[in-house]
Amino acid sequence: MKRLKAILATTIAICCLSVAARAADPVTLHFWVAWDPQQADGIAAKKEIADYEKSHPGITIDVQNITYDALHNKLLTALAGGDAPDLSWGLPEWLGELSRMGALRDLTEDAKTWSDEKSIYPNVIDALSIDGHLMAMPHYLGIRALLVHQDMLTAAGVAAPPKSWDELIADAKAIKDKTGKFGFGIAGTGVRSPQELIMYLAQNGVSLAERQSDGKYKNTWLDDKAKLAKAAQVFAFYKSLSKDGAINPDGASWGWEEEDTNFGLGQYAMVIDGAWMQSREAQNPEAMKDVAISAPPYKAQPATFFEINPFYVYKAGKHPKETWDFVAFMNGKEFQSAVHPNNSPRSDVTSDSKWGNGFTALASTGVVFPPVALGAITREMIESLGRTLLKDEDPEAVAKWLAAAINKDLKQSGELSGG
Amino acid sequence: MAAVRWRGQSTRQAQLQRVAAYCLAPATIVFLLLIAYPLASVLWDAAHYVNLTNPSVSGFAGFDNFTNVLGDERFWPDFWHTGLWTLVSVAGEYALGLASAIALAQPSWGRGVSRAVILIPWVIPIVVAGLTWTWMLTPDYGILNLWLVKAGLLAKPFYWLGGLNTALMTVAVVNIWRSFPFYTVCLLAALMAIPKEMIESAAIDGAGPIRRFFHITMPSIRVVSLTIIFIHVIATAINFDFIWVMTQGGPLNASETLPILIYRFALEDFDVGAASALATMTIGFMLAVFFVYWYGTRSRRAEAV
Amino acid sequence: MVIGGLERTTRVFTTYTILALFVAFCLFPFLWMIDTSLKPVAEVRSLNPSFWIVHPTLDNFRRVLADDNFPIYFRNSVIVAGGSTIFTLIVSTFCGYALSRFPRQRLTQAVGSALLVSQMIPGVLILAPIYIIMRRLGLLSTFEALILVYCAFAMPLCCFMLKGFFDTIPRELEEAAELDGCSRLGFIYRILIPLSAPGILANGIFCFVTAWNEFLFGYVLINDEARRTLTPGIMVFKGPHLTDWGALMAASVLAVVPVALFFVNLQRFLIDGLTAGAVKG
Repeated sequence: MKRLKAILATTIAICCLSVAARAADPVTLHFWVAWDPQQADGIAAKKEIADYEKSHPGITIDVQNITYDALHNKLLTALAGGDAPDLSWGLPEWLGELSRMGALRDLTEDAKTWSDEKSIYPNVIDALSIDGHLMAMPHYLGIRALLVHQDMLTAAGVAAPPKSWDELIADAKAIKDKTGKFGFGIAGTGVRSPQELIMYLAQNGVSLAERQSDGKYKNTWLDDKAKLAKAAQVFAFYKSLSKDGAINPDGASWGWEEEDTNFGLGQYAMVIDGAWMQSREAQNPEAMKDVAISAPPYKAQPATFFEINPFYVYKAGKHPKETWDFVAFMNGKEFQSAVHPNNSPRSDVTSDSKWGNGFTALASTGVVFPPVALGAITREMIESLGRTLLKDEDPEAVAKWLAAAINKDLKQSGELSGG
Repeated sequence: MAAVRWRGQSTRQAQLQRVAAYCLAPATIVFLLLIAYPLASVLWDAAHYVNLTNPSVSGFAGFDNFTNVLGDERFWPDFWHTGLWTLVSVAGEYALGLASAIALAQPSWGRGVSRAVILIPWVIPIVVAGLTWTWMLTPDYGILNLWLVKAGLLAKPFYWLGGLNTALMTVAVVNIWRSFPFYTVCLLAALMAIPKEMIESAAIDGAGPIRRFFHITMPSIRVVSLTIIFIHVIATAINFDFIWVMTQGGPLNASETLPILIYRFALEDFDVGAASALATMTIGFMLAVFFVYWYGTRSRRAEAV
Repeated sequence: MVIGGLERTTRVFTTYTILALFVAFCLFPFLWMIDTSLKPVAEVRSLNPSFWIVHPTLDNFRRVLADDNFPIYFRNSVIVAGGSTIFTLIVSTFCGYALSRFPRQRLTQAVGSALLVSQMIPGVLILAPIYIIMRRLGLLSTFEALILVYCAFAMPLCCFMLKGFFDTIPRELEEAAELDGCSRLGFIYRILIPLSAPGILANGIFCFVTAWNEFLFGYVLINDEARRTLTPGIMVFKGPHLTDWGALMAASVLAVVPVALFFVNLQRFLIDGLTAGAVKG
C-alpha cells in the first residue's frame, strides 16, 4: 500500500509540475510569421530581423514560424485565451473580425509621428483603417493581374490578351480549339475563390456590402433590382466559363494550389493571379518562360483584387512602443527593398520587372473586402460558386441566396445596418 | 461470530474501496484537470449567447443555440455524412485489420518485416498523409490518376476529391488506410493468444477453415473487436483532421461532417454558443449509440447465462 | 499435422497474396514520399509523375537540415512522445486495473463513464479552454503541457484496452498471490504487468504514435521555437503561396523512418512477449 501511495504521489507530482518563471529579458517581441524558411523572402526577412536585433541591443525578436493553414486557428485560440503575440502576419480578410474582437491596437497616434507614412500608397493606409483609425500596418501587396502563357495565345491566333469577359470566353474557345488545352482557370474553393469573386463583382459594379449612413454595413442586392441583375451576371459569367469550355470543369473544386500548379505546368493559358507566381518560374522554367502580365478583363469597369497583406499589432502586447518601432522598420525602405522588392506597399520601392511593375500598375483599380467579420461571408461566397458550378443553380437565385446570407452574417456579428 | 465476520467483510470492503480510489486517482486528476473544465465550458456556452465578434449579445440563451443549430440547412446533411463516414471508415478498417492480422498470424517468410511495414501508414502524421494523398489523387499531376489511366482502368483522370459524390468516400478510404494498422496490432495480439491446440483439436474433429474461423477465432477475438470498434466509432465520428486537410468539407459541403460544422460555427461564424450546442448534441448522439450498444450486449450476455 | 496438404498450400498462397497486397497498399504513399524527397524541383512538379528519378539529389534533405531547428524538433518530439507514453501507461495501468477488478464500485463506474464521455468531445472545441488552463498553470510552451494533453487523449482508450487485457487474467491468480503474502502492488508489478505485456506494449505504441503525429495542440500550445515538435515543424514547408514538396517530403521521411525502424525491433519484442505470455498462461 505504501509503495502504491508513493507511486501515486510521484504521478501527481508530474501532474502538477510547473516551470520556474523564466528570467525576464529586457524586451522580447513575439512575432508570428508563416514563411517558408527556405524561400527567398523568408531568408531575406530572417537576415533583416537579425540585423535589427544587432542594431537594437536589448530587443529580441522571438519569431514563431507557423504554417499559414494553422496561423488563424492559433491566433484565435491565443486571443480567446487572453494571450496574443505582439504582432503577426495574417490575411487581410481577418481585419474586420480581429477588430470586432477588440484584439487590435489602434495605431493612428503612432503613425502620426512616423515620417515614412507618405511613402506608403495612400489607398493602402485607407484599406487598413476602420472609421479613420489605422488598425494594421501593411506587409506586402498581393495585387492580382491577368497572367497569360503567350505561346498558347499565339498558337490560337489571339493577338492580345482579352480586355473583356466576352473576349475572354471567345479567346478561351479559340485556345481550346487550337491547342486542346483550357483557356482560363479559376479557384472554385479555398481562400482564393472569394478574392476572385469579389473582383468579378467589382468589375460589374457591385460590392458585397456597403457602408450605410449609420456606419454599419448591408448588402443591398435584394433592395435594388439593378444590382441584383448585375450580381446575377457575375454568376452567369462563371457558369458560361464552365459551360462554354473556357475552364476545366474540375476548376469548380480547385483551391489555389491546383490553380497555381496547373498554370505553372502550362495546363491552361490564362489566370488571374499574384506576383508570387514568379516562384513557379524556378520550378517550371520551361512552361513559365512565356508568361506575360496584363490587366484583368472586365465587364462594366476595370477592377482587380487588391490584397493588402497586413501586419497585425495586438492590444495585449506589453511593449507598444518597441512593437511600433519594429513594424515601422519592416515598412522601411531597407527592409522592403530586401524582402519585398517587387510587391512593396512603399511607392519608392518598385521594380521594373513584369513581376513588379506589371502588378503595382493596377493598384488604382484595386478593390478590397469591406472591414467586417468575414469568416462566414467568405465561406458563403465559396458556397455560392459551388451552387453555380456544381449544382447548376440559376444565377439570380444564387445571387439572392448570397445576398440574404451576407445580411444574416452581418446581423450575427452585430454589423448589419438598421439591425 | 457473525458480527465479527460482518465487520471483517466491512473492513475488507472498505479496503477494496480505498484500493480502487487510489488506483483511479491519477486518471481522475488528469480528467478533472484537462477534460472536466473544457466539458463544463462547452455545456455552459451551449446555453448562453457567446459570439466572439459581437460582444453586444450575451446572457442566458435557453435552447436558442440548439434551435439555431437544428434550423441550419447544413445540419441534417452533415449528420448523415457523419454517419456514413463513420460507418464506412470503421467497417473498412475492421475488415482490413482482420484480414491483415490473420495473414500476419500465419507463419510466413519475412513476417517481421511485413508486420512493421503494415504499421507504416499509422506513423505518418495525418496532415502529411492527407497532403500527400491529395497530391497523388489530383487529376492533372497526380500519380494515381496517371497510373489508373495507363492501366486502362479509367478513360481519363478523375477528380476524386472534387466530385460531389466521391469526395467523402475518397477521404474515408484514406482514413481507412491510415487507421487500420491499429486494428491489426490489437487483433494480431488477440489471435496469437488463441491456443494452437484449440485450433488443432477442432481440425481433428473435422472442422474446415471457415468453420474454425467462425467457431474458434471469432469468439476469441470478440471482446477486443467490440472494444476497438466501439472506440473507433467515437473517434471517427468526431475526427476532424483528415477531412479538413483533404477537402475542408468541400466541394459544396459534400464532405462536411458535424465536427467540421462545429469548427465552422466556432472559428468562421465566431458563434461559440452554436458550436457548443452542436458539440453537446454530438455527445448526446454518441451516448445514445453507447446505450444501444450496452443494452444490446447486456441482453445477449443475459441470454448466454 | 492434421491440417491437410491442399489446405496448407491454399493457405500459404492466400497468405502471401494478401500480405503482398497489404504491403503495397501501406507502402505506396510512403515510397512516394521517399521518392519525392530525392527528386530535384523540376521533377517534383511534373505532368508525368513517375517513380523513376532522372537526376536524384539530396538537395531537399540539405534544405531541411539547413534549418538548424530540425534536430531540436526531433528531440522535442522524442521527449514529448516518450514522456506522454510512460505517463499514460502508468495512469491507465492503475485505472484499467480498477476498472477490471472493481467494476461494481460507484467510483469505478463514475470514472469509467467520465472517461467514456471524454472520448466524445471534439478536439477543436476544447482547444481554447485547454489553452486557458495551461496558461493559468504556467505550462504554455512546455513539454509538460503536451505530455498532459496527449495523456488525456490517449488515456481513455488505454484504460479500456488494458481493462480488457486484465479481465483475461484469472482472479484466482490474484487470490493465490494474496495468500502467498504478495501485496496488491506486488501483484500488479510482478504478475499483472508481465502477463499483460503485449497489451501494455500495444497501448504504449498507440500512445507514442498519437503523440508523435499530433499537430493541432502541438502548434497551439507551444509558442517557443525551442520547444516545437516535429509535425508543426514539418508543416512550415507548406508556404503561403507554394508548397515545397521536396523539403516537406524529406522532413517527413526523416520523421517517419526512425519510428518505422523502431517498430521493426519492437515487432520482435512483441512476438517474444506474446510467446512468453502464452507459455505462462
